[in-house]
Amino acid sequence: MSERKLPWVIKYRPKKIADVVNQNDAKQLVLKWIKEWFAGRPSRKAALFYGPPGCGKTSLAEAVAREYGLEYLEMNASDYRRASDIERIAKIAVMQRGLFAKGKLILLDEVDGMSRVADRGAMEAILDLIKITKSPLVMTANDPWDPNLRPLRESVLLVPFRRLTKTDIKRALARICELERIRCDDDAIKYIANKAEGDLRSAINDLQAIAEGYGRVTLSAVKAVLRARDRVYEPFEVVRKIFISKYAWQAKLAASQTDLSPDELIQWINENLPKQISNPEDLWRAYDALSRADVYIGRIVRTGSWDLLAYAMELMTAGVSLAVRTDVKSKYRWVKYSFPQKILIMARTKEVRQIREDLAAVIARHLRISKRLAKSDVIPYLVAIFESNPEYAASLAVGLNLSDSMIKYLSQRNSNRIIELTKKIREQIAREAREESRKEPPEAEAAVKTEAEAPKTKKVRRRKKKEGAGLEAFFKK
Amino acid sequence: MSTRESRRVLAELLWAEKYRPRSLSEIVNQEDIVKRLYQFVKEKNMPHLLFAGPPGTGKTTAAHCLAHDLYGEDYRMYMLELNASDERGIDVIRTKVKEFARSRLPANIPFKIVLLDEADNMTADAQQALRRLMEMYVDVTRFILIANYPSKIIEPIQSRCAVFRFTPLKKEDVMTRLKYICEQEGVKYEEEALDIIFEISEGDMRKSINILQSSAALGKVTVANVFKVVGLAHPREVREIIKTALAGNFIKARDLLRTLMLNYGLSGVDVVKQMHREIFSSEIQLPEHVRVEIADYIGEIQFRLVEGADDEIQLNALLAKLTLIGKTHHTVKATSR
Repeated sequence: MSERKLPWVIKYRPKKIADVVNQNDAKQLVLKWIKEWFAGRPSRKAALFYGPPGCGKTSLAEAVAREYGLEYLEMNASDYRRASDIERIAKIAVMQRGLFAKGKLILLDEVDGMSRVADRGAMEAILDLIKITKSPLVMTANDPWDPNLRPLRESVLLVPFRRLTKTDIKRALARICELERIRCDDDAIKYIANKAEGDLRSAINDLQAIAEGYGRVTLSAVKAVLRARDRVYEPFEVVRKIFISKYAWQAKLAASQTDLSPDELIQWINENLPKQISNPEDLWRAYDALSRADVYIGRIVRTGSWDLLAYAMELMTAGVSLAVRTDVKSKYRWVKYSFPQKILIMARTKEVRQIREDLAAVIARHLRISKRLAKSDVIPYLVAIFESNPEYAASLAVGLNLSDSMIKYLSQRNSNRIIELTKKIREQIAREAREESRKEPPEAEAAVKTEAEAPKTKKVRRRKKKEGAGLEAFFKK
Repeated sequence: MSTRESRRVLAELLWAEKYRPRSLSEIVNQEDIVKRLYQFVKEKNMPHLLFAGPPGTGKTTAAHCLAHDLYGEDYRMYMLELNASDERGIDVIRTKVKEFARSRLPANIPFKIVLLDEADNMTADAQQALRRLMEMYVDVTRFILIANYPSKIIEPIQSRCAVFRFTPLKKEDVMTRLKYICEQEGVKYEEEALDIIFEISEGDMRKSINILQSSAALGKVTVANVFKVVGLAHPREVREIIKTALAGNFIKARDLLRTLMLNYGLSGVDVVKQMHREIFSSEIQLPEHVRVEIADYIGEIQFRLVEGADDEIQLNALLAKLTLIGKTHHTVKATSR
């Protein structure tokens, strides 16, 4: 029982270097470096392990220490905030490996967490430490290009860690399930792995939370736990914070406190803006800002210039909240927000939209026009026909070779009847064609031309063969 | 004949295609243009061509007829057809068009044809790439570009093309064609109904024929049926949306807009253009100077629609503007229908 309480991330920490999932390149670099230390001639005194969270940076340091019989000293970010903290560590670091004393491996976790202002002096102290240390010094960071780390980058061995793949994570989770003797469904594990975005630590935490809460790991349990945590509440808060901002920086800050992407966030604002703001003047000013934010997003999407994102964000946050000038009180009203309908509608109508696209393509080919024109100029008239004259609609459906789902798209009232009729017509055509070919072969050539049947295929093929590669090869593709 | 007749009813096509002229000799209008195109057929040679003019005036048809008369029934084997509206990027030009343009010339024809419909929707980059292809492969490939607005075609391309300006069809030409189709189809019609079809379609032949066909599907081409069909095809939703916004109900207007875009799959630009038409219609009562004020903002929004990412947000900005205008001008009254 007591064993259950131990977090699995600790319980299943890799004991050996080989247990660290993936990261072969990093392992090689580190092993070479450690061997240099044992040979007494390390090329660099310190190494910076960098990569996304939960990919095994700390685990590898720990496993190396264990495998090489080094004493492992881990310093968390809070331990070395100030220069004086580092000096304390330094005293340990300069100790010689004595006859009986073990060698050491010192880990400074999350060095990119230091702020330039608050932790002033700490960076200099670390640089000094690197100069004097007699034990291998390992630091970890998510982002090695953090400007704060610039002085560090030149004096350390840079060891990149890769983001773990879903397969890596699934495998690791499955192994834990096996060792814990817990029933785990494949799709559940897959779901956790997908959510983890390469972070094994969080995936293992999720797994444990579900296993201990539900006794076994099923997809529905996983969804119940992970969805609940999934920013369901958060966007509402962010939107509210943006709306009530008095200063531009407040609105911008609020937007930075969400993991919604800019195009999701703009939908949240678009959805709830008219609920919060009712004065027409304010509403228009706010929407004008939102519209210009969307223009920047469009330019970003088209040109890939992410530089423009700042302007888009400013307009959709501060631009919106500061547009409210006539009826300022309306900003503070409590309003119930809703999830962006646009996103829901797009998800719900995906199938219908696809059918419409396919239908537009059929018509575009038939009439030699663009799909856009087919949608705006032709489909509406087809709807008129399909809604009012099933018999005629059926013969059009056969002639244009429309699928049943296209027929359903064109007529809500008559679709069943039209589909019925098209079947009859097709049967009749087939019957007549059979009779015709039995009776008098030459007449058979006059067989029904439907757009889909491509009447000239035979002739075309024969002619094509004669004329050599160029064009034929092109059209085959 | 009788069996053929019954078959035609079995599997019907869209009349706009069914009655499309197949050969230059069948084209009844645009005489000057047809005459010059005939010359190309006779000489079996032609420059690059640019067909410009309003929709439904026979540009695409003329191009197909020309190719047909040059190459015969199987002309589509020698022609690459692209609609720049659907494939407007530079990649299509660099891959599909280039590959076709440089492919070997079959011995039996003088050149291949690339037909680029709605070429004015091509991006500027794509047009630049196209311009080079037009030069490099001119000995084996000729281009026919079709555009509503030739000014959107870059100057260097225009100067490499013989430009043909298609004029709006004369009313009598459209009427004659519609009557001819009715006779062929055995459809009864009212003269006045054809008048109205012409009015509604603004001289666009393809649109006229579409309306004719769907009116005929109601039994007979009567004035009532034409209006019924047009009502079914273009519901008053756009007008309703404008009125709702002007009346100050932004949220309801937005809901209507969503339904409209969802049900008809309209693009933002489609909606904006319809709104523009409605703003100047007598069905919506507005002081005249306000119509112009709204038109200005509609134009701005159309511009932003092209530049932006999300149609709905842009249209919502327009609705917010209408809501504001509705409030400012209390004279605005929304009459129903």
